Amino acid sequence: MISLGHYLALATLIFGLGAAGFLSRRNVLIQLMSIELMLNAVNVVLVAFNRFHPENHAGQLFAFFVIAVAAAEAAVGLSIVISLFRLKKTVESDRADLLKH
Amino acid sequence: MHAELALTMVVLLPLAGAIINGIFGRGVETADEKSAVGKLATGVVAAAFFAAAYCFYVLLQHEGEPIRAHLYDWFTLRLGSHTIPIGVTFVMDRLSGVMTLFVTGIGTLIHVYSTGYMSEDPSYARFFTYLNLFMASMLILVLGSSMPLLFVGWEGVGLCSYLLIGFWFENPNYAAAGKKAFIMNRIGDFGVIVGMFILMMATGSLEFSGINAAAQSGALKGTFELPRPEMLGSAAGLVLVLLGLGVVAFLRKKVNLSPLAWLVAAAVLGGALYVLFVVSPTVSIATAACLFLFLGCTGKSAQIPLFVWLPDAMAGPTPVSALIHAATMVTAGVYLCCRLSPVFMQSPTALMIISVVGALTALLAATIALVQNHMKRILAYSTVSQLGFMFAAVGAGAFTAGFFHVFTHAFFKACLFLGAGAVMHAVHAHGDADVRLLGGMRKHLPVVRWTFLLSCLAIAGFPLTSGFFSKDEILLGVVNAQGIEGYSPEVSWFVFGVLVLAATMTAFYMFRLYFLTFAGEYRSAKAHGSDEAGHDDHGHGEHGYAEHPHPPEPAIAWPLRILGVGAILAGLVNIEPILHVLHIHPEGEWGNWWGHWLGPVVASAGEGLENGWIYAAIGGTAAMAVGIGLAYSMYGSGTRMPAENPGAFHQLLLNKWKVDELYEAVVVWPMRWVAEFAAAVDKYFVDMILAKATATAVEIGGFLFTRVQNGVVYAYGTVMALGVLGVGAWFFLPHPALTVEKLEGETASLRAAVGLGYAYRWDGDGDGEFDSEEFEGSNTLERTYAAGERKAFVARLGGTLVGAVGGADVDITLPTDGSAVTLRDSELGALWAKSSADGSAPVPPVLRVDGDEVVVRPNDALSGRDGNEFRLKYGESAQLGNRTLRVGALVRSSVEVQNAFGVVRRQSKDSVIFPAEAEHAEARHATVGGAL
Repeated sequence: MISLGHYLALATLIFGLGAAGFLSRRNVLIQLMSIELMLNAVNVVLVAFNRFHPENHAGQLFAFFVIAVAAAEAAVGLSIVISLFRLKKTVESDRADLLKH
Repeated sequence: MHAELALTMVVLLPLAGAIINGIFGRGVETADEKSAVGKLATGVVAAAFFAAAYCFYVLLQHEGEPIRAHLYDWFTLRLGSHTIPIGVTFVMDRLSGVMTLFVTGIGTLIHVYSTGYMSEDPSYARFFTYLNLFMASMLILVLGSSMPLLFVGWEGVGLCSYLLIGFWFENPNYAAAGKKAFIMNRIGDFGVIVGMFILMMATGSLEFSGINAAAQSGALKGTFELPRPEMLGSAAGLVLVLLGLGVVAFLRKKVNLSPLAWLVAAAVLGGALYVLFVVSPTVSIATAACLFLFLGCTGKSAQIPLFVWLPDAMAGPTPVSALIHAATMVTAGVYLCCRLSPVFMQSPTALMIISVVGALTALLAATIALVQNHMKRILAYSTVSQLGFMFAAVGAGAFTAGFFHVFTHAFFKACLFLGAGAVMHAVHAHGDADVRLLGGMRKHLPVVRWTFLLSCLAIAGFPLTSGFFSKDEILLGVVNAQGIEGYSPEVSWFVFGVLVLAATMTAFYMFRLYFLTFAGEYRSAKAHGSDEAGHDDHGHGEHGYAEHPHPPEPAIAWPLRILGVGAILAGLVNIEPILHVLHIHPEGEWGNWWGHWLGPVVASAGEGLENGWIYAAIGGTAAMAVGIGLAYSMYGSGTRMPAENPGAFHQLLLNKWKVDELYEAVVVWPMRWVAEFAAAVDKYFVDMILAKATATAVEIGGFLFTRVQNGVVYAYGTVMALGVLGVGAWFFLPHPALTVEKLEGETASLRAAVGLGYAYRWDGDGDGEFDSEEFEGSNTLERTYAAGERKAFVARLGGTLVGAVGGADVDITLPTDGSAVTLRDSELGALWAKSSADGSAPVPPVLRVDGDEVVVRPNDALSGRDGNEFRLKYGESAQLGNRTLRVGALVRSSVEVQNAFGVVRRQSKDSVIFPAEAEHAEARHATVGGAL
């Protein structure tokens, strides 16, 4: 029997992978993918709770919202990456430092 | 109605002229434009003169009934419940009428003269703007009905004086002379302001009419106490510091001054300190007010100690010297004294000081004038000297005589200055003319010569000229001053003697000037032939002046003629004393028109000495004869020159008694040092430590904080993740935040914080076991405690008993093991102990718990109970020290909070309870205590 705890553990694992990837990699594309991972971990949690507390479908609804946000974020993020590449000929995030200090 | 309008116009016309020329006069260059500017400026002043003449005519028709023109309300002062309205009101009465008439009259003549004299000057319009502004200010000064309005004019003429002295400001010396005049006048103005405030406080009025009426009814009789000990240290210290700095400057050869001058300075300062702090006279309000006002007069009217600016003021164009620094502005001090004559009459001390200062100024300036070699400089010292005569008269209570001299002096001194200007104009001397290079002008400039001669006769006091009348009036007034109550006859005779001596010198130096300038041959013509030589910067260089003096143009000649006639005839308005001596008693009052006219508005000293006129007439006439005779014998031939190698005393006089050097050493240098010190403080402390250090600290902080923004995305992400973890950790733990909301008697309301998923269980009685095992309570608990639930006894010292100052309640938790607690003084209130017989330190009370009771051992404390020990149960109270001791119980409630994660936290709260009836008992006790 797969319990709520299993889902939460899976979600934690995925979120942890995403967070670790975001913090450790410098390639902006990888970082964007890591963000996707974290968002999807949240989706898993939302859907899992909805599965075990099916009074209403708030969890699933929220999951859709997150998917929509993720899509928008990916679009904006990729366009930023392209701009960055045009400007710096690289997609390393720490080369995007024009506004530092 | 017409008179009021005319009176307003007297002031507003010159002001309008100044505004128009000031705005539209820029860039005026051609002769036509200059002519327009000059005509406008002269026209407004002439119109003001005619308006003034009309007003004066009306005044004559109404027998001196003052004309008042109220323009608008300016502001209102509040003095306690008393309000003092200050309006812009011009008043022409007998005194201000005469003054207005000759100020505008002579002003018109000098404007006419200036159109000729200044015709070559590029700043023609600026000159007339200042001159018109001066006229407006002077008329405000004269016609203002109150002290503040007079002060407006007073400051205005000071400003114009500054602007006109520094008119040729391209020359740094001239600009410095302007600054000197301005600063000297500021020192005096401080005196005027203080005097004004003293009069306002004493009389409750700032209107001249109000002040004078109050003074006559004795409002100034009170006295000031000098705060001697408080002031002594600081004032003496300040003087010593300044003197010390001066000595340092002297030793460093910054100033050139003999040790003798230092002794004089030290003696003067020491004397002043001695009088102020050792003698410490009781000063009447009248004396204080008069002396402060007189300080203002010494500034404006160039008396000792503030006279040194006036000779330097000759840096201005000659018409300015004539109008401002001879005829009108410098006499403002005398006018102020006459205006407030009833106030001055209240203080014989102040009068004597004024007279002596005036006489000494007359003598000092006359001695300097004896040896000077420049026309305007001699005339400047002569002006200082003549002003000294006026103040000697004012100080003698002879206000009419002093003011009469103002009147006559305006004519002959203006004429002399304009004559000097005409000579300078003729020989192209710029700035001033050296008499050693002149001579023979009687052939070249006959008009100037005759008017100059007439004016010299007048100032010397030749019989039947105007100066003769006014100077004899002054001498007579000084002798008569003995009639004033409290006026010492010795002072009167001293002043008389000094004045006669000064009058002798006056006659001498004026005719020395006359002979050197007009007699003999023109010395520059012989020496050199260069026509341009006179144009050097100071006008008295080695080269001499223009070879052929050109005769004066009409604009210069006519004012001279009119003033020359005035110099002779102006005295006739006061011919009565002469007629009196000749036993002629004319019909009506025309003979002594002056005295009769001013009598009602100016205080008078009366006659102190029978036949005093004999002294005056003999003294004055002898002085004139001796002075002129000496001058003629020495310089009459026109060939003798001032000594080439003067002796030591002569040199000292040439150096003007080194007064400037003295001030330089005693005042200017110390001030400069203080200023340099302050500048250093500003530079190193304010700019460096305060400003720069603060800026650096901010800069360093800013640098450190900007390092955080390093542009590395995963660094930002790490910080964000840490923040999220922190917030998560806070939410992971429950936060009970238990508070006691209300505590009344034995009932308490407790409240724990609300949070997401929080559940509560309570331990209301504090026995360590929860009221229910399940988390099913609410976040609030209302509980009435029982006495048996107490954790400990609490002794509350609160309230106050008789005579003690209250304080906050003090709770003392008594140990449950029965050990004793000794109370401290601060807990018992002031004076808690019974008086002890042997004076040993009182033993404080001791509390301990014994079973259900608190045992109180008061020892030496006030207790209101018999025996050396008593017991109190829970809720009972007693007196202890000066406070009420009440026994309460300490109880405790706890709450446990569980959150959604199942984490549990616990918090406890203690309360001190009293039985409800204890309140009543306390109330009863307090009543009894209050009745004790």
